[in-house]
Amino acid sequence: MKNSAFAGFLRWLDGDPEILLGAEEMTEQPDVPRDSQKQRIHHLEHVLKDHPLPVPRAFSRRNVRIFYAVVSVVCCLVIISCLLLAVSDLPRFGVEHAEVEEVTEKYVLDGLEETGAVNIVSGIILDYRAFDTLGESFVLFCALNCVLILLRTDSREEEHDISYYSLSGDDVLRKSIMFTLPLVLVFGVYVLLNGHLSPGGGFSGGAVMGGGLILLSTGYGGEVTGRFITERRFKTVCFIALSFYCLSKSYVFFTGANGLETGISLGTPGAILSSGLILPLNIAVGMVVTCTMYGIYRMFKKGSF
Amino acid sequence: MEWIRFAVSAVLICLGLFAFAIGTVGVNFFDFVLNRMHASGICDTLGTLLMILGLVVANGANFFSLKLLLVLLLLWISSPVSTHLLSMVEKHTSNSLGRYIRRKEDRDGSV
Repeated sequence: MKNSAFAGFLRWLDGDPEILLGAEEMTEQPDVPRDSQKQRIHHLEHVLKDHPLPVPRAFSRRNVRIFYAVVSVVCCLVIISCLLLAVSDLPRFGVEHAEVEEVTEKYVLDGLEETGAVNIVSGIILDYRAFDTLGESFVLFCALNCVLILLRTDSREEEHDISYYSLSGDDVLRKSIMFTLPLVLVFGVYVLLNGHLSPGGGFSGGAVMGGGLILLSTGYGGEVTGRFITERRFKTVCFIALSFYCLSKSYVFFTGANGLETGISLGTPGAILSSGLILPLNIAVGMVVTCTMYGIYRMFKKGSF
Repeated sequence: MEWIRFAVSAVLICLGLFAFAIGTVGVNFFDFVLNRMHASGICDTLGTLLMILGLVVANGANFFSLKLLLVLLLLWISSPVSTHLLSMVEKHTSNSLGRYIRRKEDRDGSV
């Protein structure tokens, strides 16, 4: 029972990576005498120093360098020609194209009336093409999860920073952060909340706020930001934001496709509380982006939150 | 009046470009990291001041100019701090620092 697949799955849920090994299959390995091993390595190094292993002629350093040069030039040429081909296929700037114009005209003429957003770009990405934006948020979330899987350390050891590289504790940095951080965070919130009125929106506002958090944890160490960003809270915020986005947009698309009444008023265009779901969706995207930026930074820096 | 404004802003922007040019030359001219940082940092500070003042004069006193001045303020805080941090890391980690600079007591002893 202890080594069954179900028990292994349960252990995997608890965070045990070795599901294929049984619970009691680990046996203690006999100790290899340290000295003899060290001596052997030393001896091997000595021998290799005097008689280096013969390298085949084809893989000599010069040949490898020529190979890399040729391959890099070929790769660059291929990529450049592909890009130029793609560019030459685009419609010329300023020339009318019936098949391209149709969609653009629809967005420009009816966008304000249908979405209620003064900023047409955010009307497009969060209303007409909202599922595309949802996919982008999920891509960010997946990237964060991959970084978590690869770089996370479970051990609760002391944080031994090499003091040369760690910038936290530097007085100049701390004072300047005390001045700039409120400005940065307020600016991030402004960009986030004004996404439907002016250029900006969830991605840019979230990036600014994430940058502010990174700044704080650079100057004051991870403990300060760790007080209000725990791993649990982090996961909760991401989950709630993504599922809110998914559910609300599914509802709107369902009712829109069937011509039902959504019950979401578009409000007066230009007011801060307007344009229906775009403002909450911007907030949701911004939360995910903030968490992702800060989380990736912490993973690369320390390996835990 | 309009012409005076244009002339003042043009002179300020040209001076700013000159400062940036000096900074660029300095970065490419010196060998040692701290010298290069010195050249680029100082010329960046002066250059951004002159450029943004020129833009503010050209734009007149309105909300947009206030935003430009805020940008200047943030640049003035962030650029010296980043230069300071870079040079601090360089000081702690460089192996070839002694080739370029001497400590004060060594210098006093030799002279």
